[in-house]
Amino acid sequence: MATDRHSHTEVSHEHPSAPSAGEVVEDLVAATGAGVTFRRVAYILGFLAVLGVVGVIGKAVTVGGDTTKWGYVAAVMAFLLTAGGGAPMVAIAPALAKANWVRPASRIAAMFSLIGIVTSLLLIPLLVLLPSLVVEETRRRSVWFEAPVYSPHVWGMMALVGLTVTGLALFYASALPDFAAMRDHSTGWRQRWGEKLSRGWRGTDVQWRSLRMRIGMFGTLYFLLLVFTHFLISTDFAMSMVPGWRDAIFPMYHSVSSLQAGIASVTLALWVARRYGGLERYLHLDQFWALGKLLFAFSLLWFYFFFSAFIVFWYGRANADIAFLDLLIRGPMVYGFATAFVLCFFAPWWLLIWNRLRVSVNGPAAVAVVVLFGLLVDRVRLYVPSWSVPGDRIHDSYLTDIPATIWPDAFDILTIIGAVSAAVLLMLLASRAVPAVSIWEVQQMNLLSRPVQFLRTHGVLVAKPD
Amino acid sequence: MQQRRDLSQTHTNRVLLNSQLNTPSWWLPTVILLGIVVIIGWVVIGFILNKGLGVTGLSRPVFWGLMIVTFVFWVGISHAGIMISAILRLTQAEWRRPVTRAAELLTVFSLLTALLFPLIHEGRPWRAYWYAPYDFARGIFPSVRSPLVWDPSAIGTYLTGSTLFLYVALLPDLGNLRDRTTGWQKVFYTMLALGWRGNPRQWKLQTIGGILLSALMLPIFVSVHSIVSWDFAVTTGVEGWHSTIFAPYFVIGAVHSGVSAVVTMMALMRWLWKWGDFIRPEHFDALARLLIVVATGWLGFTFLELIFALYTLEGPELALREMQIFSWPWNVWFIVFLLTGYFIPVPLWLFKKVRNNIAMMFWTSILVNIGMWLERFFIVVPGLARKTPFTFAWESYKPSPIEWFLLGWSVAWVSFLMLLFARFFPLVPLFEQKESQVFTTNVKIGRASVPAIIREQE
Repeated sequence: MATDRHSHTEVSHEHPSAPSAGEVVEDLVAATGAGVTFRRVAYILGFLAVLGVVGVIGKAVTVGGDTTKWGYVAAVMAFLLTAGGGAPMVAIAPALAKANWVRPASRIAAMFSLIGIVTSLLLIPLLVLLPSLVVEETRRRSVWFEAPVYSPHVWGMMALVGLTVTGLALFYASALPDFAAMRDHSTGWRQRWGEKLSRGWRGTDVQWRSLRMRIGMFGTLYFLLLVFTHFLISTDFAMSMVPGWRDAIFPMYHSVSSLQAGIASVTLALWVARRYGGLERYLHLDQFWALGKLLFAFSLLWFYFFFSAFIVFWYGRANADIAFLDLLIRGPMVYGFATAFVLCFFAPWWLLIWNRLRVSVNGPAAVAVVVLFGLLVDRVRLYVPSWSVPGDRIHDSYLTDIPATIWPDAFDILTIIGAVSAAVLLMLLASRAVPAVSIWEVQQMNLLSRPVQFLRTHGVLVAKPD
Repeated sequence: MQQRRDLSQTHTNRVLLNSQLNTPSWWLPTVILLGIVVIIGWVVIGFILNKGLGVTGLSRPVFWGLMIVTFVFWVGISHAGIMISAILRLTQAEWRRPVTRAAELLTVFSLLTALLFPLIHEGRPWRAYWYAPYDFARGIFPSVRSPLVWDPSAIGTYLTGSTLFLYVALLPDLGNLRDRTTGWQKVFYTMLALGWRGNPRQWKLQTIGGILLSALMLPIFVSVHSIVSWDFAVTTGVEGWHSTIFAPYFVIGAVHSGVSAVVTMMALMRWLWKWGDFIRPEHFDALARLLIVVATGWLGFTFLELIFALYTLEGPELALREMQIFSWPWNVWFIVFLLTGYFIPVPLWLFKKVRNNIAMMFWTSILVNIGMWLERFFIVVPGLARKTPFTFAWESYKPSPIEWFLLGWSVAWVSFLMLLFARFFPLVPLFEQKESQVFTTNVKIGRASVPAIIREQE
């Protein structure tokens, strides 16, 4: 067998615009410094987060245990789970598929697991308010069947905390080499911080093997926990609150839209880091292009999962089916549904199908904002009507009286703004504690990819080690 | 792990065109044997049409039996082509290259086979045109809202698209065959090659055509099995059918069985045509990794389907599930379904040795399809077999030997078509293989030699 002569020649060992290894460490460690603008933004977000706490306390004082008034708190909790919970998957799934583009984005994606802290805090009042499994000495419909009555409360919280802890473990495990870089290439508190958290990282073969194993292990566990958490939260905090709502696809719809929101969140965070964090040299079109494609695919999946449920209810026309449509689609939440439909599916579809927008840095980021807002509205249209169903109807076969639209009061608005601000604040603070773009992954990317002349055009030679 | 080998274009041509230019000695006896089974099958179909559906085991209230199960099964297998070819092409998975043609072919022949079963099942195939709502005024078939109209439309579109997809990808190889044959074969390939010369414009059009068709076929791919699932899911009257999860559950199950069928086929191709240089353990390894993810997703959907069936705690639904899981003989088949569909193959695939062992991959992929056929049986039949308030008679469904024969016949029929195709067209795309040689290389990183691939620059 003769060997074909390859028609490509290597131009140089490194990407012409790629910074050297030393520059990468210097730039990315230096980027953890906090400027005046950063501090101002952090103070504002901190203030808004405090307002959020005021909102929850105000709600508790004014409406007390009236569950019908807590829908917006449930919606914002579900939204944070959706957006924050799905984001680390952007670090996990493409890495498992050996995608090269994801390396500079993986740290920011993993950072989103911090949002789980806010989500867990918001879950506490909701757990207190969640109706018992036994109402008027009869068990209500739930996925818990004959399980102990405290099951949804205990398992819901355990799943969410487990998800958050696993996400943080993934975040920390993948940051070890960067803490070592901070230890070796900075001074003052950053050096001490790096020394403490790097746990003696020296970059030996054993340590690298162990790092890869941990990332794989935590990544897989995170995905399983993510699906499990969405299953519990969506069924216990929405579906089981509505008599007659039996929707097997709903937990998967919740999980898939979480992945959509996760992609949107990471895209937006990367755009902010690139625009305001001085990371233009590390966050390129490649990342935004790839995320744009994923966002496009998941926006179509949002529609598919929505439609798969919708057509069965619409076609079935049983009383419970009609009640479902009246409550969540064409009744009190008709405008919410229309907005969510446009922002989660229609707008991203028609915007991202356009090459000039998808293959750009700003395009996917702009669509990410649209999608995130759409998913917030989507969670509102699902959770607010579910919580608005009076507790004494819980044993009915289906909902006969559709509750009226519940508009947010001042405390709801404060809670939504405060919770989102607290989540953003945690992300900002984390970006000061560890480089927002992973140093070792950027080094690895520069090592594994190089430009080549291919026939009459230019390409990139990407090495794919096992 | 990529086990890249440097293969010359001459070697690639010689080995991959061996079926067309030098027919292997086993080919003719095998085709004759399968041909006999196929002819018997057509005679049996004729017998059913002549005598009526009474010769099958179908009876009140189970009017949908093995033929509908087999229809759903083959539609599921047909998802192999687009999954492997379109999705992996769009995601630039390099290992897809030797697999694509076989997967696309399996799609086309599975769909052709799938379409036969509802035609036989309806008993009067000469009235198949009634599926098309061609004349609303007659009042005979006025409703385009019927899932039974959506089915032929979706499958017809999928079949047309898949055939086109297969043909566009076949053009460069047809040009190759035209240039290497004489006589009637040259005329045959010349007509099919549509003037392919391999100039830059043709390559560009072929590439764009492939990408566009990949993107266009994806929604069809998803919609086909979703629509098949809605045949069941929009029916409120049958226990176990009216479930919102059916569409993605059917699609992911289809991908599971389709990709497994591709593994079976790849192993056969490697053994029969001795294509070890092209269909390598790395390809089985990659397919097995994909299958682990798909199968686990499918198991999750199975769990959700089951848990939300019980969710309402309604008596009939509970009784149905109790029958499926605990009553003889359903309980045995339920265990076989779970073991063959997931719990035997997937844990085995977790071991690299198994993933790289072609015989093990062959047998585990067969197991998956046994399990997936049983899954369809569990979806279609038990819900109908139970007595409901409006049925005046009921009995357990016992498929007749004729129905069992037709199930086996369908496998022989698809194999027969595949072998016929393989006599005239290459089963591994030559141009993809050659392109792969150009796009892949090894680079030295430190002390290691790492496989690498050339990608488009941003």
